[in-house]
Amino acid sequence: MTPPSAQSVTLLLLLWLLPLLGAIVLWTFGPQLRRSGSIVASALVLVSFALTLVLFVGGTSPDNPLQVPLVSWTRGFNLGLELDPLSLLWTLIITGVGGLIHVYAIGYMWSDKAIARFFAYMNFFVFAMLTLVLSDNVVGLLVGWGLVGLASYFLIGFWFYKPSAVAAARKAFVINVVGDVGMMFAVFALFSATGSIAFGDIFAKAHDFSPSLLFTICLALFIAAAAKSAQVPLHTWLPDAMEGPTPVSALIHAATMVTAGVYLIARFAPLWNLSPQSQELAGIVGALTMVLGALLGIGQWDIKRILAYSTMSQIGYMVMGVGVGAYQAGVLHFFTHAFFKAQLFLGAGIIIHALHDEQDVRKMGGLRIRMPFAYWAMLLGTLAICGFPFFSGFYSKDAVVYGALEHGHPWLYLAGVLTAGVTAYYMFRMIFLVFFGPYRGEVTEVELGMPVSEHAAHAEEHVAHAPAWLMQVPVAILMLPTVAAGYLFIGGSTSPWARYFGTQFGTSENVASLPLPIPELASTWIVMAVVAAGIVIAYLRYGAQGAQTSAIDRIRAEGIAMPQALRHAFWFDDVINALFVRPAQALGLAISRFVDPHVIDAGVRDVAWLAGLFGALARGLQNGLVRAYALTLVVGAACFIVYYALIGAPR
Amino acid sequence: MADIANYVALSALVFFIGVAGVVLRRNPLIVLMSIELMLNAANLALVAFSRAWVNNAGHIFVFLVITVAAAEAAIGLAIVVAAFRKARFVDVDEVASLRG
Repeated sequence: MTPPSAQSVTLLLLLWLLPLLGAIVLWTFGPQLRRSGSIVASALVLVSFALTLVLFVGGTSPDNPLQVPLVSWTRGFNLGLELDPLSLLWTLIITGVGGLIHVYAIGYMWSDKAIARFFAYMNFFVFAMLTLVLSDNVVGLLVGWGLVGLASYFLIGFWFYKPSAVAAARKAFVINVVGDVGMMFAVFALFSATGSIAFGDIFAKAHDFSPSLLFTICLALFIAAAAKSAQVPLHTWLPDAMEGPTPVSALIHAATMVTAGVYLIARFAPLWNLSPQSQELAGIVGALTMVLGALLGIGQWDIKRILAYSTMSQIGYMVMGVGVGAYQAGVLHFFTHAFFKAQLFLGAGIIIHALHDEQDVRKMGGLRIRMPFAYWAMLLGTLAICGFPFFSGFYSKDAVVYGALEHGHPWLYLAGVLTAGVTAYYMFRMIFLVFFGPYRGEVTEVELGMPVSEHAAHAEEHVAHAPAWLMQVPVAILMLPTVAAGYLFIGGSTSPWARYFGTQFGTSENVASLPLPIPELASTWIVMAVVAAGIVIAYLRYGAQGAQTSAIDRIRAEGIAMPQALRHAFWFDDVINALFVRPAQALGLAISRFVDPHVIDAGVRDVAWLAGLFGALARGLQNGLVRAYALTLVVGAACFIVYYALIGAPR
Repeated sequence: MADIANYVALSALVFFIGVAGVVLRRNPLIVLMSIELMLNAANLALVAFSRAWVNNAGHIFVFLVITVAAAEAAIGLAIVVAAFRKARFVDVDEVASLRG
């Protein structure tokens, strides 16, 4: 292992700390900086991205990662940074896509009074996420894990005057803490088992772990991953998290933070490879999330909630991929998803912005003519997410579902293929509802032709408009990887993607040696056929001429006839409420009704009353009469004399 | 030589006259004088015991008590004068501002 050059160490430290610097500066001088602060914040993230690119060009490999020791605490407790292909990929996405979303957000948040606070949180998030992926030890990972949850809480609740945003932020934070507990448990178990917190030491000793210990650790890690990555049944916070500003949804709740669970499993691949039961579990939960997310996507009317459920579904794909051991495929799906989902969210943001915060697709329609840019952005993103041939999602989704088959999970394969069809259906349903047919909204058509308008809560600042290109340029740049990111995977095991990762993930012990029922090309055709079927059904129901003319009546009827399961999101929220939230509230109520007034308050009150009683008694003695004091003295002395006269002087 | 019991009895008598004066009288000057009576009763007892048991410690202690009594009288009178100037009182019971 060659020692890292001083230059690359400096680059790594800089790219890690620049967003923190931005956050501190904006937190300190935010009220003075205001809009210029947003430019500073975006520039810092873009500089971070440039530094990451320099390191990327310099090259890295799993066998020779760039290691930077930071703090040496006590034996086995060394904190540091490590850049290997996996963390480098995540760093590229965080700073690259993150930088673009920062630029977009300058335009999106232009008229918000708290724009500096917004960018302070955004920079803080980037720093936290970089800490998560760059740490070379489980403790740094845990710190980053907690900090991204905190940043997510800040940003979901950014518009804190909206009660729904505050409730969503609290829900996200509480569910994430469930994951943090799992993570903490894994860290303790790993440290007590190996005496070290460094990934390298842990993986070197992983072969000595007993199967039950391995399964326990993997389970704890999976709980952490499930909470952060919105896997069933810990997914309910993600749709609610759409209360945050749209750039936040794009950056945190689509491209980066929610994929931290995928990173976690990929990072601990050497452990997962040794524990087939854990892989089974992760694969099944991932598939379940994938299916449920897609089904729920069908029944949504809020454009951001459609995208949120599709995110959940796509993360299900990723977790299924890395869960069954198809790491390169799962991580590839993360990579392509980061682009096309950011694209979709940013495109949706342009529409929401133009329609004065209207998010209901029932009140859109026909926007293809008036907002051609948003139309093309959303259409490209939709084609990519559906796995339309030669778009990025085509390659990554194919790789994931076929990876499930390769690793011996035909049922997961089947679920993946069918979900691809459902995905195509609900995404094109959204496209047809938003961009085709008659316009059904309330915002006047004249206004729609005007420049992008303001957030409704800040109507008094209507004079200041951000230039429209600020929001369009990042989306335009994202179009390229949205289409082309999958080409990296062409060639399978000899593709640039496979060569980039090399031996990063090791090999799983349960790679199926049984003959595959269908070859890869046939699988591709099957997926394409299912996707095409999904698109056709969506077209017949929402896009065809007949469906367009009766659109308003039909949508109203559909809103009434929506299956109960979809309307209630499969009752996950209700079950969680009944099992945990209500008992917790009842406990709190019981404590506030009984324990607090009758035990704690009463105890304090009684102690105070007792002190007062003693005081009242003692007060009587303090009567201020000198002669009474003198008499007391005399009586006291007399008592002594009588006492000693009776029993005699002490010998 | 007179019996020591006579001295002690006289001392006790004087002491209780002093106690009665402090407890019963309300004129501050009389109270001070009564305190002096009690001190001197104690002195008398000390001197009597000292002489009876041929031990000079009692004599020395009496000088100490006389000194302290002088100081006490000075300070006590000063307090009485100061308090009188302020409140024009002739009754110790009226000085009760420290009542709880």
